[in-house]
This record gives sequence, C-alpha cells and structure tokens, in this order.
Amino acid sequence: MALIARIAWRNIQRHRGKSLVIGIILFLGALIMTIGNGVVSGMERGLRDGIINRFTGQIVVISGRQEQDNVIFTPLGKDVQVITGYEKIKHALETSGYVDKFIPVGKGLTLVLNENGDVGYSLVLGVNFEEYQKMFMNNVKLVEGAFLNKDDRGILITSGNRKRFYDELDFWFMPEGVKLNDKNLTDEALKYKDRLDVKNDIVLMGSSMENTTMDLRLKVKGIVKYEYLDDYWKNFNIIDIESFREAFQYVTASDAAVNIPSYQRKLLETDNLDSLFEDNVVTKAGAGNKKYEIAELIGKRAARKKPGIDSGAYNIIFVKLKKGGSIEKSLRKLNDAFKAAGAEARAVPWGNAVGQLADLAMIMRGATIGFVMLIFFVAVIIIMNTLSMAALERVSEIGMMRAVGAQKSFISGMFFAETAVISSVFGGAGIIAGGICISILNLLHITTDNNILELLFGGNVLRPTLGFFDIMIGVIELAVVTVIAAAYPLTVARRITPLDAVTRD
Amino acid sequence: MNMIEMKDIRKEYPLGETVVHALRGIDLSVQEGGFISIIGPSGSGKTTLLNIIGCIDTPTEGSVKIGGEDITSLDDKKLTNIRLFKVGFIFQTFNLIPVLNLLENVEFPLLLMKEHKLSKTDIRERAEKAIEEVGLKDFLDHRPAELSGGQRQRVAIARALVTNPQIVLADEPTANLDSETGAAILELMKHLNETEKTTFIFSTHDPDVLKYASQVVKIRDGHIESTGKPGRSLKTGKTRSKAHVGKAGSTGKRRR
Ligand SMILES: Nc1ncnc2c1ncn2[C@@H]1O[C@H](COP(=O)(O)OP(=O)(O)O)[C@@H](O)[C@H]1O
Ligand SMILES: [Mg+2]
Repeated sequence: MALIARIAWRNIQRHRGKSLVIGIILFLGALIMTIGNGVVSGMERGLRDGIINRFTGQIVVISGRQEQDNVIFTPLGKDVQVITGYEKIKHALETSGYVDKFIPVGKGLTLVLNENGDVGYSLVLGVNFEEYQKMFMNNVKLVEGAFLNKDDRGILITSGNRKRFYDELDFWFMPEGVKLNDKNLTDEALKYKDRLDVKNDIVLMGSSMENTTMDLRLKVKGIVKYEYLDDYWKNFNIIDIESFREAFQYVTASDAAVNIPSYQRKLLETDNLDSLFEDNVVTKAGAGNKKYEIAELIGKRAARKKPGIDSGAYNIIFVKLKKGGSIEKSLRKLNDAFKAAGAEARAVPWGNAVGQLADLAMIMRGATIGFVMLIFFVAVIIIMNTLSMAALERVSEIGMMRAVGAQKSFISGMFFAETAVISSVFGGAGIIAGGICISILNLLHITTDNNILELLFGGNVLRPTLGFFDIMIGVIELAVVTVIAAAYPLTVARRITPLDAVTRD
Repeated sequence: MNMIEMKDIRKEYPLGETVVHALRGIDLSVQEGGFISIIGPSGSGKTTLLNIIGCIDTPTEGSVKIGGEDITSLDDKKLTNIRLFKVGFIFQTFNLIPVLNLLENVEFPLLLMKEHKLSKTDIRERAEKAIEEVGLKDFLDHRPAELSGGQRQRVAIARALVTNPQIVLADEPTANLDSETGAAILELMKHLNETEKTTFIFSTHDPDVLKYASQVVKIRDGHIESTGKPGRSLKTGKTRSKAHVGKAGSTGKRRR
C-alpha cells in the first residue's frame, strides 16, 4: 500500500540516526554473510572438483556385496569387498556412452613388518600407475627417486607415510641409489642423519580378514606427494596392481598358472623372510633356500580362495563422466546396466565413497552459517531494541492513527515496511558489496601451501564463488533476520491503543 | 433520531488494590446535529466519557449505541471501523502525523477507507475542500512542525470532518491554545456544526467556552450533575445521572 510505504520511507528519513545504525549493522551482517557464503561455496566447489578430478571421479563402482559405500576412508582400514565379474562391469562402462574414463584399483590395509618385530601399517592403492596419473591429472608428484613405469613392480611411498614409518618403525625409506637429501628429511631424521636406518625396500603383508594373505617385499621406487589434499591422501602408498593382488591374494588357480613365471620371479626376488618374521607370519613366503614349491603354495591359496575372484580382481573402480553428465542420471543408468549384465557391482556417488571428506564442506558451511547467525543474533538484538524504542517514542502518534481508524494490521505494516526498506537497502548493499569483495578476492589470486588453508580454499588458490544459490541463501537469511528483528517491536507497536493518543490531566 | 444513546454507563479503573470509579452510571442521549459541551472539573470523567462515545475505550458496564448500532460488544476491528467511518476525533494535543504534510494528514483517514474505494481525485478533492473550510488552503504542503498550534488544530478539525462522520468528538480542543485562538477554533467548529449538520461533542473545563454550546452537560465525580442550555441555571441530577440533549435550541428535557 502506497500510504504505508510513504509513511515508512519518511519515517526512515526522519529518524535518520536510528535508520543508519540499523542499516550499518545489517550492511555489515550481509557483507560478512555474503563473503562467508562465497568462500564456503568456493571451497565446496574446489573440494568437489579437486576430489572428483584428482582422486575419485564422479562415480565410484564397488562390489554389490560391499556394505558401506564409504570405501576410501573405511573405519579401521576395514577391507573393501572384491569386485567380481570385472569384465562385465568393464563392458558396461565402455559401452555406456556417458563414461569418459575409468580406472580399476585395489585398495587395502597392509601391515608393514620390520626386523624388530614391530608392526606398522600402510594403506595402499594398487594401480596401473601410468593410467592412474593420466586419469587424475598427474596428481602424484615425485619427491625423490622415480615413478612406477609400465610393468614395474614396486612401491611409491608418500613423504607423509615415510615420516610416519620413521616415527613408528625407525626406518627411513629411500629409493635405491638416491642420496639423502637434507631438504627432504624431517627435523628428527636430520638430527640422526648419520645413524639413519635407510631401507630401499619394504615388506608388506595384506591384512585381509577374510583371505589368507602373504608377505611381499617391494622395492621403494620413489617418494611421492599428492599435489592436492596431500594431508588426507598421504596415507595411501601406491603399488603396482600385480603386487597388490599378490599381497591380498586376489588370484585364482587358473590365473596363477598363467602367471607362474612372474610369481616365480617375484618369489625368487624375495629374500630370506623367515629369518625376519619367524613364526608370526600366517603364510611364509618361502624358505631361505628360495626353492620352495610354488605349485603347492598356489594350490593351497586356490583352495582357500573365495569363489569367483578372477584375474581382473579389483575392489574399487573410479569413473569419470563425460563433460556435463549428470551424476544422478549416470548412476541410475550404470546400476541398471550392471543389473542387466548380471554384474555384482554398485555405482555410488563420489561423496558417499569419500565419506567425511565430502562432509567437510558441509561442516564448513554449517560453521559459516553459525558464525553469520551469531553476527545476526547481535544485530537482531540491537535492531529489536532500537525499533522497540522507536515504537515507544511514537506511542501517541500511533495511538492517534488507531483512533482515527487505522487497524492493527496497518500499524504492523508500517513498522514492518520501515524495517524491510532499511534491510533491503542496506542489506542489499551489503550483499552487493560482498559480491564485489569476492570478485576482488578472486583477482588477488591468494595462494597457500598451508594444509588447513588449502582445505578452506578448496585448493591452493582462494577462489570464492558466488552463485545464484548463494545470493538466494543470503537474501533468505537477511529476510529471516529482518522478520525476527521486527517481530517484537511490532507487537509493541500493535499493543498501542487509541487510548494512548489521549492526554490525561 | 438519537445519535448517541448511553445507558447506565459505568467505568472503573483498577488502581493498585483499589478501584477508581471514573463514571458511576451515566445515561445520555444526544440528538443529531447538536453542539454539545461536556463541562466539569478535572478528574470528573469528561475524557472517559468522550473515549467511550468515540469507541476508544469500552465501558465496564452499560450499553452504548451510536447511530442505532450497539457498540458495547464489538471487537477491535469493528470498533476501529466505527472510529474510521462514524466518528471524527480532535485531540487536545492536535496529534498529526509529523512526516505527512497538511494535505496528506487530512487525506489519511480517507486513504484508510479501503472498503469505500475512493479514487485518488475524490480523496484529493474532499481533502482540499475540508482544508478550505478550515482556512488553510495556502498551507497544503506544510508539515505539522511548520504550523502554529491553532493551525494544527484546524488541520485536526479538517481531518475529523473529511470523512463526513456522524459525530465529531473533541476533548478539550482549546486547552493548549491561547484564548483568542481557542475562541477562533470554537467559532470554526460551531460554524461547521451549522453548515455541515455534524454533531459535535466537546469537553472543556473553561466556562467561557460554554456560550458556543447548544447544550451543556455538567459532570462531576462521574455523575451527570445537570444538563441544559448555556446561560441558564442547569438542572441538577439526583440519583442517577441522566441527560437528554439535542439540537441547538432544544431543551434539556426528559429528566426524571
Ligand atoms: N487509565 C486510568 N487508570 C486509572 N485511573 C484513571 C485512568 N483514566 C482515568 N482515570 C481516573 O478516572 C477519573 C476520570 O478521569 P478523566 O476521565 O480523565 O477526567 P477528566 O477528563 O474529566 O479530567 C479520574 O479520577 C482519573 O484519575
Ligand atoms: Mg480530560
């Protein structure tokens, strides 16, 4: 109603001081809120893009028997079920039309053994390393040594894990033939540099609960670091998929028969493990004479195998979709295709697979909203107070309006209009200013190496984004604040009766 | 027809442990077109009485009819509508909307009359006519703060009259004005009463003002003490305060 708007607008001008106080508070609130939302959105997007592009793809295929979708950071490193019938899945993926790339991997927890009998652990990813790098934007960076080349057997240890191993097991892992580089030593390691127990290979033992496992000596090929989110991913050492299968016994008899030469080679490379591990190892890889019965061993394994685990045995397949593909639709189609092909597999969205890491953005958004709400809470109190005072100052004016025939709703409308105008003008300005700040922040190209900041930035660069959705959230938050702040003063104003217009002697 | 009919109106205000009896049984009938003065000392109940007539306050007991409509048990919304459509108010302290100019202040009640759906030009015309009648044509765009007390009260009168109400109530309209200005205001009200045939009821404690009234209702301690024409000795009430007052010239009769 034009009359309400006119009176409200003139009252704002008349009570300029108050309007300004309320306005500035709302402006600052909206500004901080907008920047906060922008940073969190940027983080969310950065995290999402980073994880999708560099670790998981949009879709992760797991075994149909796998209970939890959260397969990357499984609690206590619990085993991920082996995917059976990989050929069928592969076919479904290749013929889908919307899948761009995919890579099957093995993921598991291995024990790390040493002479002292201390037992460490390591999460490993068994991959075809060249394909892995191609798929995930060369996310693995070399610190020392060399990468795994085609057909190479060996392990790439992350510098994070190397440090942890040193702390827990007192080994300092180095690729063979590489000299110690002070720059890459931890402070502690540097101190004892002369007495450092340098090892060029590592003994892993698949710690599968269900299958028998096998110890495996692997050459340390390189020390690596993940370019993105290393703090989270550094727990994963990378080994070639063949070694992974051996460590976790992802082989069948027929398979093994074909692969005997490689086995033999492998096992023959294996040193005298007996002397290292004595009797605490489930399956001894071999006696010191390097001449044990391979066929016998394989036979034993085959007998213990779960049925159906075949040569293409993996437990996770990371899938990247073609540009613009909908995750949801693709998931549905993929799962249908798996069912049609009789593959015992399940496609899940990346967020499910990485669990809490995906939730991080949500937590940050929650924290930002909480912080903004705190600011707004203070704002609400101040605004409420100021407006209530304004209502009380205008008692006789409002009472007169009521006496002359204005309904309560008119009074509410007038009060609300005043608050709403201030809030939309100043709050709107705050949102716009926030948008400008975000653009400036983007232009400034702020970078970081700090792990925590990197997470906050959703990458190495602070790239806040402000989408339509963020602006809508901002407007809604502002509206909620306005309504809450105006509610109490409104009831004060509504309670003013026409009698209040009458002077009594 | 009786514009106002009040029967045995009592008004009590709780005051701590005790109760203040502001009105102690008022019977009052007012005919259309009168110019009635309610006179009494401070605290006698004048304001309370006018508030009840004006639907600003409700009686503790008794019934009130305005233009034949019983208003005793109406809700806030309906009472507000009666104030808007049937009653005009003039306050002691003028009470204008400070952020609106003279014209807008007078237009205000018309703009509230949503159910009448008056056109903008209608509203403008009626407001300008009312302003012309109170002689403030030249001040249309002045804000209340830019006007003198007398001028403000004229604006209030224009605002009270612009809706063509059945009754205009004025609670000590001249109390905050000097006597000369006060007299001019009353002259204006009297004039409008005669030309517009609107019923005016105003309260005063100033006997000088009585000469304008067609009827005088004298109240004391919440009772009607007497009613009658100004200048004559007023008849006195005995047990309950009863009065019937009417048009200019008619007598304050029907006393029992
Ligand atoms: N809200 C109130 N609470 C308590 N007492 C009141 C109230 N309003 C009026 N009164 C009392 O009622 C009596 C009549 O008051 P009022 O109608 O204002 O008299 P007048 O207008 O003649 O001065 C006075 O004694 C006054 O103190
Ligand atoms: Mg009074």
